[in-house]
Amino acid sequence: MISEEFEFRAPTKLAEALSLLERYGDDAKILAGGMSLVPMMTLGLVRPKTVISFNHITDLNFVIDAKDVIRIGAMTRHDTVAHHDLIKKHLPLLATAAVGIGDVQVRHRGTIGGSLAHADPAADYPPVMLVAGAQFRIQSAKGDRMVKAAEFFTGLMQTAVGAGEVLSEIHVPKLPAGAGSAYLRLHRVEGSFPIVNAAAVIEKGFKSARVAIGGVGESAVMIDVTKHLSKGVSDQSLRAISDAAYDASGDAYGDLNGDTEYRRAMARVYAQRVIKAAAAQIR
Amino acid sequence: MKTPVEVTVNKKKYKVEVDTRMILADMLREELRLTGTHIGCGTGNCGACTVVLNGETVKSCCIIAADANGQEITTIEGLSSSATELHPIQQAFVENQGLQCGYCTPGMVLSTLQLLKDNPNPTEDEIRHGISGNLCRCTGYQFIVQSIQDAAKRLSNGGQPGASQ
Repeated sequence: MISEEFEFRAPTKLAEALSLLERYGDDAKILAGGMSLVPMMTLGLVRPKTVISFNHITDLNFVIDAKDVIRIGAMTRHDTVAHHDLIKKHLPLLATAAVGIGDVQVRHRGTIGGSLAHADPAADYPPVMLVAGAQFRIQSAKGDRMVKAAEFFTGLMQTAVGAGEVLSEIHVPKLPAGAGSAYLRLHRVEGSFPIVNAAAVIEKGFKSARVAIGGVGESAVMIDVTKHLSKGVSDQSLRAISDAAYDASGDAYGDLNGDTEYRRAMARVYAQRVIKAAAAQIR
Repeated sequence: MKTPVEVTVNKKKYKVEVDTRMILADMLREELRLTGTHIGCGTGNCGACTVVLNGETVKSCCIIAADANGQEITTIEGLSSSATELHPIQQAFVENQGLQCGYCTPGMVLSTLQLLKDNPNPTEDEIRHGISGNLCRCTGYQFIVQSIQDAAKRLSNGGQPGASQ
Protein backbone atom coordinates (compact mmCIF):
# COMPACT_ATOMS: atom_id res chain seq x y z
CA MET A 1 0.00 0.00 0.00
CA ILE A 2 1.22 3.47 -0.89
CA SER A 3 0.78 5.87 2.04
CA GLU A 4 0.21 9.16 0.23
CA GLU A 5 -3.06 9.91 -1.59
CA PHE A 6 -2.84 10.65 -5.32
CA GLU A 7 -5.13 10.99 -8.29
CA PHE A 8 -4.81 8.24 -10.89
CA ARG A 9 -5.43 8.76 -14.60
CA ALA A 10 -5.11 6.13 -17.32
CA PRO A 11 -5.68 7.66 -20.77
CA THR A 12 -5.88 5.34 -23.79
CA LYS A 13 -4.76 7.87 -26.41
CA LEU A 14 -1.53 9.87 -26.55
CA ALA A 15 -3.39 13.12 -27.37
CA GLU A 16 -5.51 12.70 -24.25
CA ALA A 17 -2.39 12.01 -22.17
CA LEU A 18 -0.66 15.11 -23.54
CA SER A 19 -3.61 17.33 -22.62
CA LEU A 20 -3.59 15.84 -19.10
CA LEU A 21 0.16 16.54 -18.87
CA GLU A 22 -0.43 20.11 -19.97
CA ARG A 23 -3.16 20.56 -17.36
CA TYR A 24 -1.29 19.01 -14.41
CA GLY A 25 2.23 20.14 -15.32
CA ASP A 26 4.79 19.52 -12.58
CA ASP A 27 2.16 17.98 -10.27
CA ALA A 28 1.89 14.95 -12.55
CA LYS A 29 4.22 12.00 -12.65
CA ILE A 30 4.23 9.79 -15.74
CA LEU A 31 3.86 6.09 -14.95
CA ALA A 32 5.42 3.79 -17.55
CA GLY A 33 6.30 0.25 -16.44
CA GLY A 34 6.53 1.46 -12.84
CA MET A 35 9.51 -0.73 -11.98
CA SER A 36 11.20 2.25 -10.29
CA LEU A 37 8.33 4.66 -9.69
CA VAL A 38 5.93 2.32 -7.87
CA PRO A 39 8.52 1.05 -5.32
CA MET A 40 9.65 4.66 -4.82
CA MET A 41 6.04 5.64 -4.10
CA THR A 42 5.63 2.66 -1.76
CA LEU A 43 8.75 3.79 0.12
CA GLY A 44 7.46 7.38 0.20
CA LEU A 45 10.47 8.67 -1.75
CA VAL A 46 8.24 10.10 -4.48
CA ARG A 47 4.83 11.59 -3.64
CA PRO A 48 3.14 12.78 -6.82
CA LYS A 49 -0.25 14.53 -6.63
CA THR A 50 -1.31 12.89 -9.89
CA VAL A 51 -0.12 9.74 -11.62
CA ILE A 52 -0.74 9.48 -15.36
CA SER A 53 -0.35 5.89 -16.51
CA PHE A 54 0.78 5.33 -20.09
CA ASN A 55 0.17 1.58 -19.85
CA HIS A 56 -3.15 1.76 -21.69
CA ILE A 57 -1.78 3.77 -24.65
CA THR A 58 -1.12 0.83 -26.95
CA ASP A 59 0.07 3.14 -29.76
CA LEU A 60 3.37 3.67 -27.93
CA ASN A 61 4.34 0.00 -27.94
CA PHE A 62 6.10 -0.74 -31.25
CA VAL A 63 9.36 -1.52 -33.00
CA ILE A 64 9.41 -0.28 -36.61
CA ASP A 65 11.97 -0.47 -39.41
CA ALA A 66 12.12 3.11 -40.74
CA LYS A 67 14.86 2.93 -43.40
CA ASP A 68 18.03 4.02 -41.64
CA VAL A 69 16.64 3.95 -38.11
CA ILE A 70 14.76 1.59 -35.86
CA ARG A 71 11.86 3.44 -34.22
CA ILE A 72 10.98 2.15 -30.79
CA GLY A 73 7.86 3.29 -28.94
CA ALA A 74 8.56 4.50 -25.42
CA MET A 75 6.17 1.94 -23.90
CA THR A 76 7.93 -1.01 -25.51
CA ARG A 77 8.81 -3.50 -22.77
CA HIS A 78 12.42 -4.57 -22.14
CA ASP A 79 11.50 -8.15 -23.03
CA THR A 80 10.41 -7.03 -26.50
CA VAL A 81 13.56 -4.93 -26.96
CA ALA A 82 15.64 -7.96 -25.94
CA HIS A 83 14.04 -10.41 -28.34
CA HIS A 84 12.77 -8.39 -31.31
CA ASP A 85 14.23 -9.61 -34.62
CA LEU A 86 14.77 -6.07 -35.98
CA ILE A 87 16.74 -5.05 -32.90
CA LYS A 88 18.76 -8.27 -32.78
CA LYS A 89 19.64 -7.81 -36.46
CA HIS A 90 20.41 -4.08 -36.61
CA LEU A 91 21.28 -3.19 -33.01
CA PRO A 92 22.58 -6.34 -31.31
CA LEU A 93 24.16 -4.33 -28.48
CA LEU A 94 20.73 -2.90 -27.59
CA ALA A 95 19.24 -6.39 -27.36
CA THR A 96 22.17 -7.44 -25.15
CA ALA A 97 21.61 -4.46 -22.85
CA ALA A 98 17.86 -5.18 -22.56
CA VAL A 99 18.27 -8.87 -21.79
CA GLY A 100 20.34 -8.11 -18.69
CA ILE A 101 17.90 -5.66 -17.09
CA GLY A 102 16.44 -6.78 -13.76
CA ASP A 103 14.82 -10.19 -14.09
CA VAL A 104 12.17 -11.88 -16.22
CA GLN A 105 9.24 -10.20 -14.42
CA VAL A 106 10.86 -6.75 -14.55
CA ARG A 107 11.59 -7.13 -18.28
CA HIS A 108 7.96 -8.07 -18.93
CA ARG A 109 6.69 -4.82 -17.41
CA GLY A 110 9.54 -2.29 -17.49
CA THR A 111 9.77 -0.07 -20.57
CA ILE A 112 12.61 1.42 -22.59
CA GLY A 113 11.08 4.91 -22.36
CA GLY A 114 10.55 4.66 -18.62
CA SER A 115 14.12 3.54 -18.02
CA LEU A 116 15.56 6.30 -20.22
CA ALA A 117 13.41 9.02 -18.66
CA HIS A 118 14.28 7.77 -15.15
CA ALA A 119 17.94 8.34 -16.14
CA ASP A 120 19.65 6.33 -13.44
CA PRO A 121 23.41 7.02 -13.81
CA ALA A 122 24.20 3.31 -14.18
CA ALA A 123 21.15 2.22 -16.19
CA ASP A 124 21.71 -0.24 -19.01
CA TYR A 125 20.43 1.77 -21.97
CA PRO A 126 22.22 5.16 -21.86
CA PRO A 127 25.70 4.03 -23.01
CA VAL A 128 24.08 2.15 -25.89
CA MET A 129 22.03 5.20 -26.89
CA LEU A 130 25.16 7.38 -26.87
CA VAL A 131 27.36 5.14 -29.03
CA ALA A 132 24.50 4.35 -31.42
CA GLY A 133 23.71 8.06 -31.87
CA ALA A 134 20.06 7.70 -30.87
CA GLN A 135 17.54 10.53 -31.01
CA PHE A 136 14.63 10.96 -28.65
CA ARG A 137 11.20 12.22 -29.63
CA ILE A 138 9.73 14.46 -26.95
CA GLN A 139 6.09 15.46 -27.31
CA SER A 140 3.76 17.81 -25.50
CA ALA A 141 0.33 19.28 -26.21
CA LYS A 142 2.07 22.18 -27.93
CA GLY A 143 5.18 20.71 -29.45
CA ASP A 144 7.06 17.81 -30.92
CA ARG A 145 10.86 17.83 -30.96
CA MET A 146 13.84 15.54 -31.41
CA VAL A 147 16.75 15.57 -28.96
CA LYS A 148 20.10 13.84 -29.46
CA ALA A 149 21.11 11.24 -26.85
CA ALA A 150 24.12 13.37 -25.90
CA GLU A 151 21.77 16.25 -25.02
CA PHE A 152 19.00 14.15 -23.48
CA PHE A 153 20.79 13.15 -20.27
CA THR A 154 21.33 16.42 -18.44
CA GLY A 155 22.38 15.22 -14.98
CA LEU A 156 21.72 12.80 -12.16
CA MET A 157 18.24 11.38 -12.95
CA GLN A 158 17.63 14.51 -15.04
CA THR A 159 16.70 14.66 -18.71
CA ALA A 160 15.70 17.18 -21.35
CA VAL A 161 12.03 16.21 -20.84
CA GLY A 162 10.32 19.23 -19.29
CA ALA A 163 7.02 19.75 -17.47
CA GLY A 164 4.08 18.83 -19.70
CA GLU A 165 6.34 16.79 -22.00
CA VAL A 166 6.84 13.07 -22.49
CA LEU A 167 9.44 10.91 -24.18
CA SER A 168 7.34 9.15 -26.83
CA GLU A 169 9.77 7.43 -29.19
CA ILE A 170 13.40 6.46 -29.48
CA HIS A 171 15.00 6.52 -32.93
CA VAL A 172 18.15 4.45 -33.07
CA PRO A 173 20.19 4.47 -36.30
CA LYS A 174 20.94 1.00 -37.61
CA LEU A 175 24.61 0.10 -37.20
CA PRO A 176 26.60 0.71 -40.40
CA ALA A 177 27.15 -2.44 -42.51
CA GLY A 178 29.92 -4.58 -41.08
CA ALA A 179 30.28 -2.52 -37.89
CA GLY A 180 31.17 -4.26 -34.66
CA SER A 181 29.37 -3.51 -31.42
CA ALA A 182 29.23 -4.74 -27.85
CA TYR A 183 27.67 -4.03 -24.47
CA LEU A 184 29.08 -5.19 -21.12
CA ARG A 185 28.00 -4.68 -17.53
CA LEU A 186 29.72 -5.19 -14.18
CA HIS A 187 27.17 -6.22 -11.57
CA ARG A 188 27.31 -7.83 -8.18
CA VAL A 189 24.46 -10.32 -8.48
CA GLU A 190 22.06 -11.36 -11.23
CA GLY A 191 19.39 -8.72 -11.65
CA SER A 192 21.17 -5.88 -9.90
CA PHE A 193 21.95 -2.53 -11.49
CA PRO A 194 25.35 -2.31 -13.16
CA ILE A 195 28.15 -0.82 -11.06
CA VAL A 196 29.87 0.20 -14.29
CA ASN A 197 28.71 -0.57 -17.82
CA ALA A 198 30.09 0.11 -21.28
CA ALA A 199 28.97 0.07 -24.91
CA ALA A 200 31.03 0.42 -28.09
CA VAL A 201 30.49 0.72 -31.83
CA ILE A 202 33.41 0.38 -34.25
CA GLU A 203 32.91 0.93 -37.97
CA LYS A 204 34.43 -1.51 -40.42
CA GLY A 205 38.05 -0.63 -41.21
CA PHE A 206 38.19 1.37 -37.93
CA LYS A 207 36.77 4.41 -39.76
CA SER A 208 35.17 5.50 -36.51
CA ALA A 209 35.03 4.13 -32.97
CA ARG A 210 33.04 5.25 -29.94
CA VAL A 211 32.83 3.93 -26.43
CA ALA A 212 30.44 5.08 -23.70
CA ILE A 213 30.68 4.26 -20.03
CA GLY A 214 27.94 4.40 -17.38
CA GLY A 215 28.13 4.42 -13.60
CA VAL A 216 31.09 6.80 -13.55
CA GLY A 217 29.33 10.15 -13.26
CA GLU A 218 25.92 11.80 -13.12
CA SER A 219 25.18 10.30 -16.51
CA ALA A 220 27.02 8.09 -18.99
CA VAL A 221 30.05 9.58 -20.76
CA MET A 222 30.99 9.03 -24.39
CA ILE A 223 34.54 9.02 -25.76
CA ASP A 224 35.44 9.16 -29.44
CA VAL A 225 38.34 6.72 -29.68
CA THR A 226 38.71 6.76 -33.47
CA LYS A 227 42.20 8.25 -33.33
CA HIS A 228 43.42 5.57 -30.92
CA LEU A 229 42.21 2.78 -33.19
CA SER A 230 43.49 4.13 -36.53
CA LYS A 231 45.89 1.16 -36.72
CA GLY A 232 43.49 -1.36 -35.17
CA VAL A 233 43.43 -2.95 -31.74
CA SER A 234 46.83 -3.29 -30.08
CA ASP A 235 48.20 -3.20 -26.54
CA GLN A 236 49.18 0.39 -27.18
CA SER A 237 45.77 1.45 -28.48
CA LEU A 238 44.00 -0.29 -25.59
CA ARG A 239 46.27 1.51 -23.11
CA ALA A 240 45.37 4.85 -24.70
CA ILE A 241 41.65 3.99 -24.52
CA SER A 242 42.04 2.90 -20.89
CA ASP A 243 43.66 6.26 -20.05
CA ALA A 244 40.91 8.12 -21.91
CA ALA A 245 38.25 6.19 -19.93
CA TYR A 246 39.99 7.06 -16.67
CA ASP A 247 40.18 10.74 -17.61
CA ALA A 248 36.50 10.80 -18.65
CA SER A 249 35.32 9.32 -15.35
CA GLY A 250 36.65 12.01 -13.02
CA ASP A 251 33.12 12.71 -11.76
CA ALA A 252 32.59 9.11 -10.63
CA TYR A 253 30.55 8.84 -7.43
CA GLY A 254 31.23 6.42 -4.62
CA ASP A 255 28.64 4.20 -2.95
CA LEU A 256 28.44 0.81 -1.21
CA ASN A 257 29.26 -0.91 -4.51
CA GLY A 258 32.55 0.89 -4.95
CA ASP A 259 34.33 4.15 -4.32
CA THR A 260 35.40 6.68 -6.94
CA GLU A 261 38.78 5.09 -7.65
CA TYR A 262 37.25 1.63 -7.98
CA ARG A 263 34.74 2.89 -10.54
CA ARG A 264 37.48 4.71 -12.45
CA ALA A 265 39.61 1.56 -12.45
CA MET A 266 36.61 -0.41 -13.73
CA ALA A 267 36.04 2.26 -16.40
CA ARG A 268 39.56 1.39 -17.66
CA VAL A 269 38.86 -2.34 -17.62
CA TYR A 270 35.43 -2.19 -19.22
CA ALA A 271 36.45 0.33 -21.90
CA GLN A 272 39.18 -2.06 -23.03
CA ARG A 273 36.99 -5.17 -22.83
CA VAL A 274 34.09 -3.60 -24.72
CA ILE A 275 36.41 -2.35 -27.48
CA LYS A 276 37.96 -5.79 -27.84
CA ALA A 277 34.50 -7.41 -27.91
CA ALA A 278 33.19 -4.90 -30.48
CA ALA A 279 36.30 -5.26 -32.70
CA ALA A 280 35.78 -9.02 -32.71
CA GLN A 281 32.27 -8.45 -34.17
CA ILE A 282 33.47 -6.43 -37.19
CA ARG A 283 32.53 -8.33 -40.33
CA MET B 1 -9.76 8.19 -3.08
CA LYS B 2 -11.49 5.22 -4.75
CA THR B 3 -11.06 3.92 -8.28
CA PRO B 4 -13.31 1.37 -10.04
CA VAL B 5 -11.43 -1.66 -11.37
CA GLU B 6 -12.67 -4.47 -13.58
CA VAL B 7 -10.34 -7.42 -13.88
CA THR B 8 -10.48 -11.04 -14.90
CA VAL B 9 -8.64 -13.15 -12.36
CA ASN B 10 -8.32 -16.90 -12.86
CA LYS B 11 -10.96 -16.64 -15.60
CA LYS B 12 -13.48 -15.02 -13.22
CA LYS B 13 -14.62 -11.42 -13.74
CA TYR B 14 -14.43 -9.04 -10.79
CA LYS B 15 -15.74 -5.50 -10.45
CA VAL B 16 -14.41 -3.69 -7.39
CA GLU B 17 -13.81 -0.20 -6.04
CA VAL B 18 -10.28 -0.01 -4.68
CA ASP B 19 -8.31 2.54 -2.74
CA THR B 20 -6.21 4.23 -5.42
CA ARG B 21 -3.13 3.73 -3.23
CA MET B 22 -3.46 -0.06 -3.43
CA ILE B 23 -0.89 -2.02 -5.32
CA LEU B 24 -2.10 -5.01 -7.33
CA ALA B 25 -0.86 -7.49 -4.71
CA ASP B 26 -2.95 -5.67 -2.05
CA MET B 27 -6.03 -5.81 -4.24
CA LEU B 28 -5.65 -9.54 -4.94
CA ARG B 29 -5.18 -10.33 -1.26
CA GLU B 30 -7.51 -7.90 0.47
CA GLU B 31 -10.29 -7.20 -2.03
CA LEU B 32 -10.45 -10.53 -3.87
CA ARG B 33 -9.24 -12.62 -0.89
CA LEU B 34 -6.75 -14.47 -3.08
CA THR B 35 -4.06 -14.73 -0.45
CA GLY B 36 -1.84 -17.13 -2.38
CA THR B 37 -0.06 -14.09 -3.82
CA HIS B 38 2.48 -13.15 -1.16
CA ILE B 39 4.09 -9.81 -0.42
CA GLY B 40 7.72 -10.10 0.63
CA CYS B 41 9.71 -6.93 0.04
CA GLY B 42 7.08 -4.73 -1.62
CA THR B 43 9.80 -3.17 -3.78
CA GLY B 44 10.20 -5.55 -6.71
CA ASN B 45 13.14 -7.56 -5.47
CA CYS B 46 11.90 -10.85 -4.00
CA GLY B 47 9.30 -12.06 -6.52
CA ALA B 48 6.92 -13.55 -3.90
CA CYS B 49 4.12 -11.44 -5.44
CA THR B 50 4.63 -12.81 -8.98
CA VAL B 51 1.40 -13.18 -10.98
CA VAL B 52 0.69 -13.70 -14.67
CA LEU B 53 -0.61 -10.51 -16.29
CA ASN B 54 -1.89 -10.90 -19.87
CA GLY B 55 0.18 -14.05 -20.26
CA GLU B 56 3.45 -12.76 -18.80
CA THR B 57 4.81 -12.94 -15.26
CA VAL B 58 5.09 -9.61 -13.42
CA LYS B 59 5.70 -8.47 -9.87
CA SER B 60 2.31 -7.39 -8.56
CA CYS B 61 3.85 -5.19 -5.85
CA CYS B 62 5.13 -2.85 -8.58
CA ILE B 63 1.82 -2.34 -10.31
CA ILE B 64 -0.82 0.09 -9.06
CA ALA B 65 -4.07 -1.87 -8.70
CA ALA B 66 -6.04 0.70 -10.70
CA ASP B 67 -3.58 0.21 -13.58
CA ALA B 68 -4.70 -3.44 -13.87
CA ASN B 69 -8.14 -2.27 -15.00
CA GLY B 70 -9.35 -4.33 -17.97
CA GLN B 71 -6.50 -6.81 -17.72
CA GLU B 72 -6.39 -10.57 -17.32
CA ILE B 73 -4.53 -12.08 -14.39
CA THR B 74 -3.66 -15.58 -13.26
CA THR B 75 -2.60 -16.15 -9.67
CA ILE B 76 -1.34 -19.32 -8.01
CA GLU B 77 -4.97 -20.17 -7.15
CA GLY B 78 -5.77 -20.39 -10.86
CA LEU B 79 -2.93 -22.69 -11.84
CA SER B 80 -4.74 -25.98 -11.35
CA SER B 81 -8.16 -26.33 -12.94
CA SER B 82 -9.24 -28.69 -10.16
CA ALA B 83 -9.70 -27.91 -6.47
CA THR B 84 -8.39 -31.34 -5.48
CA GLU B 85 -5.50 -31.85 -7.89
CA LEU B 86 -2.22 -30.01 -8.15
CA HIS B 87 -0.74 -28.70 -11.39
CA PRO B 88 2.24 -30.85 -12.54
CA ILE B 89 4.62 -28.02 -11.54
CA GLN B 90 3.13 -27.92 -8.03
CA GLN B 91 3.31 -31.72 -7.80
CA ALA B 92 6.98 -31.60 -8.84
CA PHE B 93 7.73 -29.04 -6.09
CA VAL B 94 5.98 -31.26 -3.52
CA GLU B 95 7.75 -34.45 -4.52
CA ASN B 96 11.21 -32.87 -4.81
CA GLN B 97 10.85 -30.86 -1.62
CA GLY B 98 11.28 -27.63 -3.59
CA LEU B 99 10.17 -25.59 -0.61
CA GLN B 100 10.66 -25.25 3.11
CA CYS B 101 8.69 -22.35 4.60
CA GLY B 102 6.71 -21.95 1.36
CA TYR B 103 6.62 -18.16 1.32
CA CYS B 104 8.38 -17.81 -2.04
CA THR B 105 6.67 -20.86 -3.57
CA PRO B 106 3.69 -19.25 -5.35
CA GLY B 107 6.11 -16.92 -7.15
CA MET B 108 8.58 -19.72 -7.86
CA VAL B 109 5.85 -21.90 -9.33
CA LEU B 110 4.53 -19.12 -11.58
CA SER B 111 8.07 -18.23 -12.73
CA THR B 112 8.50 -21.93 -13.54
CA LEU B 113 5.27 -21.84 -15.55
CA GLN B 114 6.67 -18.90 -17.58
CA LEU B 115 10.10 -20.49 -17.99
CA LEU B 116 8.74 -23.81 -19.23
CA LYS B 117 6.30 -22.06 -21.57
CA ASP B 118 9.19 -20.15 -23.19
CA ASN B 119 11.67 -23.02 -22.98
CA PRO B 120 10.17 -26.48 -22.33
CA ASN B 121 13.56 -28.16 -21.90
CA PRO B 122 15.85 -25.71 -20.06
CA THR B 123 19.42 -26.36 -18.94
CA GLU B 124 20.28 -25.87 -15.27
CA ASP B 125 21.82 -22.51 -16.17
CA GLU B 126 18.65 -21.43 -17.98
CA ILE B 127 16.57 -22.51 -14.98
CA ARG B 128 18.69 -20.41 -12.63
CA HIS B 129 18.32 -17.39 -14.94
CA GLY B 130 14.58 -18.04 -15.23
CA ILE B 131 14.05 -17.84 -11.47
CA SER B 132 16.55 -15.04 -10.85
CA GLY B 133 13.64 -12.71 -10.05
CA ASN B 134 12.53 -14.92 -7.16
CA LEU B 135 14.38 -15.10 -3.86
CA CYS B 136 14.25 -18.10 -1.55
CA ARG B 137 15.84 -17.77 1.88
CA CYS B 138 15.41 -21.43 2.92
CA THR B 139 16.35 -23.98 0.33
CA GLY B 140 19.61 -22.80 -1.18
CA TYR B 141 17.78 -23.24 -4.53
CA GLN B 142 19.14 -26.72 -5.32
CA PHE B 143 15.85 -28.54 -4.62
CA ILE B 144 13.95 -25.82 -6.46
CA VAL B 145 16.14 -26.35 -9.53
CA GLN B 146 15.53 -30.11 -9.25
CA SER B 147 11.78 -29.50 -8.91
CA ILE B 148 11.83 -27.44 -12.11
CA GLN B 149 13.80 -30.13 -13.94
CA ASP B 150 11.22 -32.65 -12.82
CA ALA B 151 8.36 -30.32 -13.76
CA ALA B 152 9.80 -30.01 -17.28
CA LYS B 153 9.77 -33.80 -17.60
CA ARG B 154 6.23 -34.04 -16.26
CA LEU B 155 4.92 -31.38 -18.64
CA SER B 156 6.53 -33.07 -21.64
CA ASN B 157 4.98 -36.33 -20.46
CA GLY B 158 1.36 -35.20 -20.20
CA GLY B 159 1.66 -34.20 -16.56
CA GLN B 160 2.86 -37.61 -15.43
CA PRO B 161 6.23 -38.24 -13.76
CA GLY B 162 8.97 -38.69 -16.38
CA ALA B 163 10.45 -42.05 -17.20
CA SER B 164 13.55 -41.40 -15.13
CA GLN B 165 11.53 -40.68 -11.98
